[in-house]
Amino acid sequence: MSYTSNNQKEFQELADWVIDQTKKAGAKDCKVNLSKRRFVEINYRDRKPEVIKEATTKGLYLQVFINNRFAGQSTPDFRKSTLAGFITDVVDSAKIMEEDPFRTLPDPKYYAGRTTSDLQLADPAQDELTPEGRHAMAKAVEDACLEQGGSKVISVEAGEYDETVEEFAKSSNGFTGANRTTQCWTGATMTAQDEGDRRPAGYNWVGCRYREDLPSLEEVGKIAAKRTLDLMGGKKIPTETLPLIIENRGVARVLYGLHDPMSAGNIQQKRSFLADKKGQQVGSKLLTLQDDPYLPKGLGSKYYDDDGFPAKKRDLFSQGILNEFLVDWYYSRKLGWEPTSGSISNLIIPPGTRSVDEIIKDLGRCILITDFIGGNSNSTTGDFSVGVIGKLFDKGQFVQNVAEMNIADNHLKFWNKLIEVANDPWIYSQARLPSLVFDSVVVSGV
Amino acid sequence: MESLSRRKFIQRTALAGGALFLLPKLEASMLSDNSPGNYFLKEFGIDESICQKLLAKALSKGGDFADLYFEYTVSNYLGLEDGKVNQSYGDISLGVGIRTVKGDQIGYGFTQELTEAAMISAAATASTLCNMKATLTLPSFNRLKTGNYYPVALDYKGIPANSKLPILQNINQKCFGLSPEVIKVNAGFQSSAKRVLIATSDGVLAEDLIPSGFVYASVVAERNGKREQSFYNLGGRRDASFYTDDVVNKVATKTVNNALKLFDAIQPPAGEMPVVLGPGVTGILLHEAIGHGMEADFNRKKISTFSTMIGKKVAEPFVTIIDDGTNMNLAGSLNVDDEGTPGKKTTLVENGILTGYLHDKISAKHYGVEPTGNGRRQDFQNYPMPRMRNTYMLGGTASADDVIRQAGNGIYVEDVSNGQVKIGEGDFAFYVSQGRLIENGKLTSPIKDINIMGNGPKMLTNIIMLANDLEFYKGGAGQCGKNGQGVPVAFGLPTCLVKSLTVGGTQQKGGQS
Repeated sequence: MSYTSNNQKEFQELADWVIDQTKKAGAKDCKVNLSKRRFVEINYRDRKPEVIKEATTKGLYLQVFINNRFAGQSTPDFRKSTLAGFITDVVDSAKIMEEDPFRTLPDPKYYAGRTTSDLQLADPAQDELTPEGRHAMAKAVEDACLEQGGSKVISVEAGEYDETVEEFAKSSNGFTGANRTTQCWTGATMTAQDEGDRRPAGYNWVGCRYREDLPSLEEVGKIAAKRTLDLMGGKKIPTETLPLIIENRGVARVLYGLHDPMSAGNIQQKRSFLADKKGQQVGSKLLTLQDDPYLPKGLGSKYYDDDGFPAKKRDLFSQGILNEFLVDWYYSRKLGWEPTSGSISNLIIPPGTRSVDEIIKDLGRCILITDFIGGNSNSTTGDFSVGVIGKLFDKGQFVQNVAEMNIADNHLKFWNKLIEVANDPWIYSQARLPSLVFDSVVVSGV
Repeated sequence: MESLSRRKFIQRTALAGGALFLLPKLEASMLSDNSPGNYFLKEFGIDESICQKLLAKALSKGGDFADLYFEYTVSNYLGLEDGKVNQSYGDISLGVGIRTVKGDQIGYGFTQELTEAAMISAAATASTLCNMKATLTLPSFNRLKTGNYYPVALDYKGIPANSKLPILQNINQKCFGLSPEVIKVNAGFQSSAKRVLIATSDGVLAEDLIPSGFVYASVVAERNGKREQSFYNLGGRRDASFYTDDVVNKVATKTVNNALKLFDAIQPPAGEMPVVLGPGVTGILLHEAIGHGMEADFNRKKISTFSTMIGKKVAEPFVTIIDDGTNMNLAGSLNVDDEGTPGKKTTLVENGILTGYLHDKISAKHYGVEPTGNGRRQDFQNYPMPRMRNTYMLGGTASADDVIRQAGNGIYVEDVSNGQVKIGEGDFAFYVSQGRLIENGKLTSPIKDINIMGNGPKMLTNIIMLANDLEFYKGGAGQCGKNGQGVPVAFGLPTCLVKSLTVGGTQQKGGQS
């Protein structure tokens, strides 16, 4: 897929000039990334605009390699008259670094093989958005949220955000890439009056590459209100070992603790509890995790990664077995491994067959986690601990909302407790993950 | 004229960009200034006349108030891995943010180009908030005189860039030298110099030079096939003279000792129990659980649990909480905030009574009070809002040993990270990376990797004892996030006993897991 525009032509010419000047200044190799972003943000509160913000930003990032020495620096100033001094500075910074035999641009043989399919990353209708249209979107979401929230509403903030980003990258050893992407987001955050002084806040924000793929604005606002009202009366319960369901939009938070230690950087730096687990059973047979950069219109879709390697679909876990690590160029050289790409794109867990409602009926006493608070995951040991907010059910019947509670476990144990995958992948994210069901997790409370 | 000034400026930056860290031996000959001057006039041709013109444009369709925030920041990072200082990263941030305010509404535009045409365009964007005629007459400017809570004794110009590498090499050597169980060391040195000029439609003109940075170590240690890691940093609003051998030693020693301690750490039983917060960094709990709820925008919108509590008792009479921009060299200190209000000290809770909120100009006008100097923003691309600076609780009269003894059985928290609060509910969580069990009034086994949950207002009323040992967080890596904007903050706490908080873990009380 090749992409050209007036900006891209300007980028191409500037990148060629920067590479030429950088090599003349003493660099053996270099890579330049150029970008331009146009965005608009409109927020409404109390049925009037609270914030209107609009701007265009641009940036140039230059990486310099001189005999295994490296420096990188960014600037918003594209004028050649000032870039000359900037380039000299980056080259001088690289010269004083210590020599590191692994610091090089990637071998150009790895640049080949980029997909030619159209990933549909830019909405052709994005330019048709008008100021009035943006205001109308925010107002419609606010109206729906206020109506659904009724007398419990203390405050509703609704908004619209859209951006168009153009990027261009070129290296001195043969890599060239260009992209134009768009995103459009809308949603609302509502605060409600609960018992005493509690004022729970819930939200619903959704975003897509193409505006036409957003759900109805009325639905967006109503769900924000419903999710807020669902927090009313949240209290902690006694510490208990229970099955729990992590709602689709929250799964990425816990999953991060599993895929972050798969990065070659963490493995080479001995900060990964998964370093010796390749080819081994790490989770239950229900744990299948794919990284798919080719998803049309996907928020994480891409043609190439940060090293310039063509993006590829990968099966990271199959039926609980860890298949491969996330290996970028630099750490592939340090580890003596083949690079596989160090970054992720769209994370996908294939959906199951049953809805969350159906699953809850069969679980007995269980907690549905709808949000997280605080917490951390230790990439070296696999231990994690995170605050949870959600709903307690018993034999399919709602018992109470829960708050101020916590779950803790070790990833090597936790993913073996995965007992079901629901049929509801969350599509407004690059982590397209369905709700997941885990057995026997300690939920701490009173 | 303008383009010449700017070119000269960027060229100077190109020299300075690689030389933001200095060795102590170079101090004596490098005395410089961060006193208010005419920096943006000299380097960019930004004079009072262009400021007046931009403010007039921002208010050309009406509005109560407008301001300009010019920023020029040069940031550098050096990283060490596997024994080599092999990464150098730099960033230049330059531009102006222009805000139009009408009541509590904000119009905001910014540009990275300090040309008159680009700036007028950004002002026009901000003005779209309103649809009336200009009503304000702009006064002439008064240059703001401020305190200086982070003097810069060193001039960065002319320093050999390679003079900064030994700091990281020393950290690496010291970490490995402290224990044969250390198997990996990463170290880094982040530094930035930020110049700002603020011009407001109520006549304030203020300039500042803000140095900030930190040096850190991160180590992995191995014992009997088991690995543990830790991280520690020191810094704040510091110039290069701060990074002495003593600082290097403290960073290396603390990082290694913390990692080794974790080999003996256990997870405490889960559930509610007394919690003693050790002095210093545990003040993050004060920041998360209580401080955010006292930011006035949340109260103006009635979404904070503290919005009806002014003048009411929120804690025992021995509790006094302060948010302060005037502490020397702490990460949250401010000579002037990002709206042109001078750095101040603000009492939030006095002898247990909630006395006030943290205000920017919008909330101050709403409440009919003076701004408290808490209007802060991440950079020129963002508008300001009420943010904390250095938030701390004054010490009590007991000794730390008395406080631990009083707890009986519970946990003692030494180091924390990843705090978060839900403003409306007041519920908070934070992660304990270092701590100990308290058994029969004494510190026993180390603990790790647990979360602590609670409710801010409830916790405040549950503080039942304070020691006389207030300490501040002295790092520079602490960033507070709010509405997508990060700003550096610090916090402080004396040893403090909370009657009960929920401790997360995998062990239920009584040993069931």
